[in-house]
Amino acid sequence: MSTVIQQNNIKNILYPPGGILMWIIIYLELITFGAVLVAMVWYSKDEPELFHESRLQLNTTFGAINTLFLLVSGCFMALTVGALKIYNIPKSKLYLKLTMLGGLLFLGLKTVEYLDKIDAGLTMGYNTFFSFYWMLTLFHVIHVLVGLVILASVLITMTKKPEKLILEDVEASATFWHMCDLIWLLLFPVIYLVF
Amino acid sequence: MKQKLFLYVLIVLVILTLLTAIVSNSEIDYSKQLIMILSALKFLAVAFYFMELQHSNWFWKVLLVGFLTIFISLVLII
Repeated sequence: MSTVIQQNNIKNILYPPGGILMWIIIYLELITFGAVLVAMVWYSKDEPELFHESRLQLNTTFGAINTLFLLVSGCFMALTVGALKIYNIPKSKLYLKLTMLGGLLFLGLKTVEYLDKIDAGLTMGYNTFFSFYWMLTLFHVIHVLVGLVILASVLITMTKKPEKLILEDVEASATFWHMCDLIWLLLFPVIYLVF
Repeated sequence: MKQKLFLYVLIVLVILTLLTAIVSNSEIDYSKQLIMILSALKFLAVAFYFMELQHSNWFWKVLLVGFLTIFISLVLII
């Protein structure tokens, strides 16, 4: 099975792995999420007890399991790109499916967590902590959903038209997926653990 | 060869996540600082190995490490 694969010189400043545009997006996203998280920490100084009590109402086990889902999924994504670089399409397809499974498991557990919170009346307007919680985690979930759609399109191309597959496109998709990991690795400790 | 590297990195990430869980459930001093440092290590491992940033130009590495340093510092200082 032949595939059109091109390699860039990633040591060049203009060609980071995944493409320069994707990295600009990543920095903008990290700065956006980072700024809101810092604002959350800032607001917690006004109401430390409320933030602590609210934080205790979150399920940290769910948060930790979701971290593991995303990390394992990220590992499979890296393996997908690695297999593609040595032209092993069947293995790359398998790894990509496992990557998507990790994302779906993350969304499943997040849905359970959200339903628990809604049942307990801990909605967005409940207090300042939960306003930040819903805003940040929902925005992240949207990113995971977008990532899954992108990976699904890569999988379809890989299955139906592997000859049209371009390594740079897959690398850019992988970089977006890893960005979801990075954002979660900032959200999880601040929202679930430190208050 | 690279497959093995990714698996080793994943094992380290899982261990760091378990350590984070242990620290967050403990009553030790400086747990907040430890949690943030462990999370920063995970962040860097994903960026440098899974995203292959270690092979890229120094500019991108400095930008990411700089962002992370500022973020962690602000969370701990505020």
